[in-house]
Amino acid sequence: MMESLTSSLQRVFGFSTFRTGQVEALTALEQGQDTLAILPTGAGKTLIYQLYGYRHAGCVLVISPLLSLMNDQVARMRVNGFRRSAAITSLTSYVERQEILRHLGDYQFLFLSPEMLAQPQMLAQIQQLQLSLLVIDEAHCIVQWGPDFRPEYLLLGAIRTKLHQPLTLMLTATAGKTTRHEIAKQLRTTPQVISESVNRPNIFLDVENVADEPEKQARLKSLVGQLQQPGVVYFSSKQQATDTALWLHQETGVRAAAYHAGLDSEDRFKIQQQFMAGQLDVICATSAFGMGIDKNNVRYVIHYHLPADLESYAQEIGRAGRDGNPSVAILLYAPGDEQLPLALGQSNRPDETTIQRYYAHPQQFSAEDPVIQLLAFYRQHGISEAAVTQMFTGRERERNRALAQMMAYARETHCLRERWLAAFDEQSPEHTVACCSPVNVPLDLTALNLKREQRATTAEPQREDWITRLQQLF
Amino acid sequence: MEATDLLYVLDRQQPRRLRVIENLLRGRRTVSTLYWGQRYQLLPLLDADKHLDRGALMGPTKALVAEGLVTLDPEEDQLLLTSAGQQKLSVTYYRPQTSEDWLNLDLEAARQRLLLAVQVTSQYAHSTSRYYPLATDLATRRVIRSWFHRLKGPQLAAALATAMIHSWQQLPVQTAEVMTDLLTGYQHPGLTVDQVASDQQQTAWEIQLRQRDGVTQIARDAQQADHPLHALLHPLWRSPITRSAQATLYAVEQGGSLDQVAMQRHVKANTVKEHLLEAAILSPTGAFPFDQLLPAHVRADFAAVLNADIDSWQFAQLPEALRTRYDFFYFRLYAIWRGRGMTDDGVTDK
Repeated sequence: MMESLTSSLQRVFGFSTFRTGQVEALTALEQGQDTLAILPTGAGKTLIYQLYGYRHAGCVLVISPLLSLMNDQVARMRVNGFRRSAAITSLTSYVERQEILRHLGDYQFLFLSPEMLAQPQMLAQIQQLQLSLLVIDEAHCIVQWGPDFRPEYLLLGAIRTKLHQPLTLMLTATAGKTTRHEIAKQLRTTPQVISESVNRPNIFLDVENVADEPEKQARLKSLVGQLQQPGVVYFSSKQQATDTALWLHQETGVRAAAYHAGLDSEDRFKIQQQFMAGQLDVICATSAFGMGIDKNNVRYVIHYHLPADLESYAQEIGRAGRDGNPSVAILLYAPGDEQLPLALGQSNRPDETTIQRYYAHPQQFSAEDPVIQLLAFYRQHGISEAAVTQMFTGRERERNRALAQMMAYARETHCLRERWLAAFDEQSPEHTVACCSPVNVPLDLTALNLKREQRATTAEPQREDWITRLQQLF
Repeated sequence: MEATDLLYVLDRQQPRRLRVIENLLRGRRTVSTLYWGQRYQLLPLLDADKHLDRGALMGPTKALVAEGLVTLDPEEDQLLLTSAGQQKLSVTYYRPQTSEDWLNLDLEAARQRLLLAVQVTSQYAHSTSRYYPLATDLATRRVIRSWFHRLKGPQLAAALATAMIHSWQQLPVQTAEVMTDLLTGYQHPGLTVDQVASDQQQTAWEIQLRQRDGVTQIARDAQQADHPLHALLHPLWRSPITRSAQATLYAVEQGGSLDQVAMQRHVKANTVKEHLLEAAILSPTGAFPFDQLLPAHVRADFAAVLNADIDSWQFAQLPEALRTRYDFFYFRLYAIWRGRGMTDDGVTDK
């Protein structure tokens, strides 16, 4: 007889109890049920497929959205003792890819991007494997990114059929009813849903209005100067993240660094490790930051730009307070901020005339244009002009609805938490002063106990010379 | 490269082409890039910034022009330092110490191997086995793994520290500081280049130059067979001439005519010429068979019509008789020969 889940947990990880949601998801999987697990950031979603992979022969295939982070995921698997792990992405060198493919059958955990899995040769190779489990990580991306950003996500259902409907685990931190329904529909399954409340009672919610960009910067500086550290500030632009990190350091003396997908892997590694080691006070990040950062004591998350929807917002503020201690999520809003997500949403969306003209004369369009690439993808997959037009119209409606929901949060005057949780079809606990401060209520950091004690500025300790520092390494 | 850094690859007298500098940094090894890279004495920077975007130097260039530090010709390609630009050059800007070796070393591979070897040894010295290794390619991980399994033991950490200190003591102390800051090891994530640049109040490019020195100095010292990094770094010394050009050069040295060599090597006649020009530019002084390919009488023909200002020479402006007798290949080869300071009367141009 197979050992109990708890014995496996003890044996592999040395823990004696599961966190909420883990055991329910594992139990459903053990019963052969496709499972959609909606568990908050930090709940230990990775452990679910690690443990399942440990208990069952064959390969766990993980479909993961962020190319730049897949290698980090593999590194984390290895540190956890799962050495037979590998990732293949478009960034994997030819030599390395060949090497992995030669030993494909030896891997216990294989990470692929949807684009990689959609390639016919790759799919043929994967079909040869004995899959114990298919994992769709960050499954909300199917809905968020699929139609107008990474259409390969929409092939996952068909691919799953070609792989003979393997047992499937869908993971996400946030998914309202619509998203859940869409994930299940796309993957052609009726999963058992394991969901924990997305609410994080220890994160105080705050929205603040500012008049314009200079006032927003000033407010950011003031907050970063007062708040308990460490913290994360999210931006929609890499350049602004980089510039602000430098500016905050110069203006307030905090140890700040930028983190975004444009960094090379060495810088990304160093900044992550510095943050984990407590050598940074604040990270100025884009949405690339977060997935897989196991840092428990983040005290604040500030959004400098308006996210496109509440699901992204919930994901990102979820980095705060994973240790359960008081933390705060602050959204800075200036009139017109909704224009940026609106423009980003439009930029990759063909209008009706373009679709019409493209379907009439596809060869007349430049394949360099990402919008044309998108249309070419649909055309090659036999999707009709009418269906594509309808899809993009529906997509735009959906985006606008999501943005309107985000805006409603920004403008909320009664209870932010209620507004937030309603988007995930959850009831909010009774509103109290300890819950949130909507736009019309000032933020009181002292009452929240989140004000940093201003230590008398001590001179930085004299740095030791390089020889001493080098010797300390060894 | 920021605007400041660009100043240091320009000249007050010699107009330099922006496109050549960009292609050199990006590692586009055309004969034209190599030739002009040599004329500008910038060849060591070949491949120094592989990820530079096309056109990325235009921004810094425009900034320098706006400040009156350089002039840019109407075609937006030729750059020249103004006297204000010349005066702006600072004595404290970093001047590399080891650049004559840069072409002969696979610097990027050496850097990756050094960093990972230090991390692995540092963690081992502190008895930690669960840590995140630096993200490197499969080949680097492999070679480090096998190196580590052969050398691990109580002496490794101390031996490595001693060797690195010895190497970096030969460089400016600030370079040693920078190198130490960049390392990753036990309880020491290491700083990024940008962070070091901001601490040291230098440009990121200067930090890169220091890093090239730091790595090259260690690779030099690791040529000793008893150096702890010998097995890792010694194999990374190589000729800058591509394998294919080396093979062409060898075949020519064996006495084949250019056409015979082309047939024998299954390449076009023009490719043979390109290979030879590449080899002529990148070979150590005295190692290229100039006398065989460019005999004295050919040199005399060119010498009769060309002045000492090599950069002003243009093939199209040669007398027609000469252009009929010799194609561009000989003209270019002669320019390389002269440019490398060789003359028939034993008096060098320089």
